[in-house]
Amino acid sequence: MPGPATAPAVALPRSRKAAAGVSLLFSLVRATLLLGLVSVAVFTVTELLPGDAADLRASPGADEEQVRHLRQELGLDVEPWRRYLDWVGALISGDPGTSLVNGRPVVDALAQRLPATLTVVAGAMALVVPASSALAWWAGTTRRGRRMPTAVLTGGAAVPMAVVAAALAALFSGHLGLVPPVSLIPPGAAPWHHPELLFLPVMSMALPTAFFGGSLLSGSVADTVRMPHVVDARRRGVPSWRIALVDVLPFLLTPFVRVVAVSAGGLIAAATVVEALFGYPGMGSLLVSAISTRDLPVVQATAVLAAAIVLLGLLLADLSAALTEPEHGRTT
Amino acid sequence: MRGLLVPLSLVVATALVLFGGWSTPYDPNATAGAPWQAPNPEYLLGTDALGRDVWSRVLAGGGRLLTVSVVAAVCASVIGIAGGLVAGWSGGFVARLLTACADLFLALPSLLLALVAAIALPWQSAVVVATVCGGAPLTLRVVRDAVRSVRSSGYVEAALLRGEHTSSVLLREVFPAMRGLVCADLGLRLVVAIQVCAALGVLGLGVSPPEPDWALMLRENMSGVASNPWAVAAPAIALGVTTLLFALAARPPSREHDDRRPAGTGREETDHA
Repeated sequence: MPGPATAPAVALPRSRKAAAGVSLLFSLVRATLLLGLVSVAVFTVTELLPGDAADLRASPGADEEQVRHLRQELGLDVEPWRRYLDWVGALISGDPGTSLVNGRPVVDALAQRLPATLTVVAGAMALVVPASSALAWWAGTTRRGRRMPTAVLTGGAAVPMAVVAAALAALFSGHLGLVPPVSLIPPGAAPWHHPELLFLPVMSMALPTAFFGGSLLSGSVADTVRMPHVVDARRRGVPSWRIALVDVLPFLLTPFVRVVAVSAGGLIAAATVVEALFGYPGMGSLLVSAISTRDLPVVQATAVLAAAIVLLGLLLADLSAALTEPEHGRTT
Repeated sequence: MRGLLVPLSLVVATALVLFGGWSTPYDPNATAGAPWQAPNPEYLLGTDALGRDVWSRVLAGGGRLLTVSVVAAVCASVIGIAGGLVAGWSGGFVARLLTACADLFLALPSLLLALVAAIALPWQSAVVVATVCGGAPLTLRVVRDAVRSVRSSGYVEAALLRGEHTSSVLLREVFPAMRGLVCADLGLRLVVAIQVCAALGVLGLGVSPPEPDWALMLRENMSGVASNPWAVAAPAIALGVTTLLFALAARPPSREHDDRRPAGTGREETDHA
């Protein structure tokens, strides 16, 4: 098999490994730094709100003295930075406090909602991965009239997810009457026991994300199929499935993993929209209802957890990129 | 002819969105008839849960969303361009620091930033914050690369040799060279801003209820999708088409700059390969 003869003089595997280690360390530092920034931002934003937990908890008609006492009891009278550190410490030890609205531990609410969100995100990803790969391949390998595929990908990625969700609901639920318009999962039942309720949320998350992932990936595909060793293999009459498998795909592994991580992170955030529209009981609808009822412990914990999941995904992508790159340096 | 199609329909759509609220057949906030009527000659797109005319609400429901999105996109673009000019011109440590800061923000989805901002800020500011944090870094990168390639060109060096001040070279020589690029980039920022706006509206964190707003209509009318699908489909189509037009209008110059060569030669090269 011809190696990538045009690749620049490759550094020794050892220094490559060191470089991979450095980049991995960098991405670890970056993820930690970002998570810290997010927690500071979430804490600051919740501090900006008028009124605090003492005002909310104080029985109506309580006078200044009683509220001040309650504030002291709840530890709200110390400096903000100390409260921030206490809060982060509690988060790290796995205790984000109790909800201000119903007095239940926040952990319980998260444990109940997280699997539901992960179910729809996983379902959507199961569709996004093959669909965006196919779209990227189509757009990247089309030789004549490249404007059309790019227009389709850009346009498909631009349509807001709420629009896709509403259009699908109007079509499948309103016009055809195939699925129920709301995805209320009965309490105690697992979401995957009701696939008909998952159809609308999963489809409306998967469609725009597939186009988004496809447009991100199509550039890499186009670059790879124009690489000299691919052009060379095509000229020598190597069958196209073999070119795709041996000469093209290994070069796409790293961008592919990154696109998957970015898409999954976007889906975690986008799940809020779909969950709110269809009344699906996930983490996103928990966050939104907590924001509108000013249930700060729930807001703080949910936002930080969502950011942590997104950053963990990116970190895993960096890890697998670092693992795959030296690998194909050795084999080729 | 085909090249004019997208910009022309964009102008028409923008005019409709911004001024459509002036000529509604009914008051968009007042009950006009029985709730959840299907489309009929009297109510073109039927009525919603409170019996308000859907067509009037669709006409009036895009202005605010588009205005806020444009403001957010311009903010993101301006900050990104300023950062990109500085990073691309100065190079070295400053460029690396700016790029690293920009990359930091890119890791988080814009919607998550918008949600966090929406906890305390009014929704308009939340959209601006999210669009700036999620969009300015991308603009910064694009502009930085363009500045780098323009920096060594003859006319910039001539201006420098004439003894012109750096800021005037940046504004008078470098910036005009990137007009097409910046316009296309502004379009992309606008698309993201509209997406964030729509998401906040659907989540009930945007425009407050009695006002007509496309995203809010999606949220309000979802429960009646079986009785009057058009109450959901019409605002969805309006929002989708508007976003699509901006995305398509933003596309061609950016592609040209991505390839760094005119479209024609690019096609020829692939034909030979």
